[in-house]
Amino acid sequence: MSGTVILFLALYYVVVLGIGYWAMRHGGSEDLEGYLLGGRQVGPMATALTLQSTSMSGYMFLGAGGLGYTQGYWAMWFAAGDIGGGVLNLSTIGRRMRKLSQMFGALTSIEYLENRYPSPAVRVFAGVLTVFLLGFYVLAQLIAGGKGMALVTGLPYPVALAIAVGIILIYTFMGGYLAVAYTDFFQSLVMLVGVLWIAAAALIELGGLTAANTAIAEFDPTLLSIWGKDLGFEGQWGVALGAVLIFSVGLLGWPHVVTRHMAMSKPATARKAGMWATAWNLLFVPTPYLVGILAVLILPELQDPEMAIFEIAGLLLPPAVTGLVMAAIMAAIMSTADSLLLQTGSIASRDLYERFINPKASERQMVMVSRGLVLAIAVIGYVVALYEPPTVFAIVIFATSVLGSAFLPAYFCAVWWKKANTAGALSSMIVGAGVAFAWEVAGMVETTQMAPMTAGVASSITTMVVVSLLTQKISPVPAHILVVMDEAAVVGPIPKTLIAASDAALSPEAAAIDAKLNGGDGND
Amino acid sequence: MFGLPIETTLLVFGFPLFWIVYTVVFLYRSRHWQHDESQQDDAS
Repeated sequence: MSGTVILFLALYYVVVLGIGYWAMRHGGSEDLEGYLLGGRQVGPMATALTLQSTSMSGYMFLGAGGLGYTQGYWAMWFAAGDIGGGVLNLSTIGRRMRKLSQMFGALTSIEYLENRYPSPAVRVFAGVLTVFLLGFYVLAQLIAGGKGMALVTGLPYPVALAIAVGIILIYTFMGGYLAVAYTDFFQSLVMLVGVLWIAAAALIELGGLTAANTAIAEFDPTLLSIWGKDLGFEGQWGVALGAVLIFSVGLLGWPHVVTRHMAMSKPATARKAGMWATAWNLLFVPTPYLVGILAVLILPELQDPEMAIFEIAGLLLPPAVTGLVMAAIMAAIMSTADSLLLQTGSIASRDLYERFINPKASERQMVMVSRGLVLAIAVIGYVVALYEPPTVFAIVIFATSVLGSAFLPAYFCAVWWKKANTAGALSSMIVGAGVAFAWEVAGMVETTQMAPMTAGVASSITTMVVVSLLTQKISPVPAHILVVMDEAAVVGPIPKTLIAASDAALSPEAAAIDAKLNGGDGND
Repeated sequence: MFGLPIETTLLVFGFPLFWIVYTVVFLYRSRHWQHDESQQDDAS
């Protein structure tokens, strides 16, 4: 790769770090609500784009391209659901979750679950499961970052991976939701320009979409079918349904995504955010899959299919444009990783360590727990990514299938079904996660022709309904929760008496940053 | 269309069309959500 490419990459990091620093200094870290939820002041467009970019970036540039390359148009089943994931999420739970979280005074998506389904067991199980799965998700970002960095710089993979992990850690320790949201916003726009540019270059190279498809038909006609290469998925509607569900309905169960609802400036922000999400998704989501499909013709001997988009960019674009596109891809991967690490560290320190292990933990101890875990995940991720890296696609599909299966009914019923109680929520999380996990590990997809996501979601929804109905007498939904659910359904201002004060037990990160920026003692 | 089989054309273009319609219907049905806009003023 040329020096121009590396120069653009370096410039890009400077700009993104600058945006993050600006956001930190302008309301992103004044208090706990500011640190974890951006002070609940994020507008519709930024909400839509941070929701989308957090949920997809590393996967979209490696996993999606690789899937298109290996399976052809079958990959579009994933895009079909993904296009509507944002608006489905925002239209069904966005407004109500924003109101409920404010009435509960909840600042993390796990804390919100414990408030809605009062039981320490809910917080323990949800917290541990989320930390475990988001750790896996981070691993995918590390591998993506390492592969991309190796290609951009020409450095050996181990060195490139170490640099990528180092930059991700810098992003993470800078921290703060508002910084993450606004860097995501900026990166989303550049990601869109970058991927459309690559697609346009590929289509021009092949003489247009019709000519490209005609050439693919001559190369391997099964790549044009909806059932994959050699019709390997023919008639497997359960697998196709799982592909549609995973990034549409599944998004409703991802704790790091639904947090975006809690940070909206107003409940009604969900409305315009839904529109922006669909507009961005229509342009962005199908494109990486399409580039992967077109790469079959341009790079038929590609060794690593997940590098299809990187290789196409390097081959077809001029160095300056390649630099911009590469920088956008790398920064998008890394910003997702830092967001996930921030969430994981916060959940581990606040929802687990402080809540259950050491309620009187000092701020210094909390900071050490949070950052220690982030470092541990990064080191473990580095070792796994170095010696036995699975495909980005496999990791993301595994982690998101289990997350969606475990939490979808819990988050959805939290705002829509008054009979959803603690017993139902806890059992649905356990059953949903267990079924999706077992389905994947036991290789049930081949025997049942049903995706883990399909089986997991069906199990968790059934469990939520059956257990909640059977345990209404022994585990009734508390009266105060029914009151705030009624209020969440109302379109209008929240009565002052129902707005809970945010938990005064400040997160260590917020207190530390406040002390650093404002010269306070960190206990404000 | 574009050299694709019919079922692939439906997959590639049908789902996006569905989500566009879904979004338009959502925007129409949620037009009264603007009442929530006064919330922050009242709450502060």
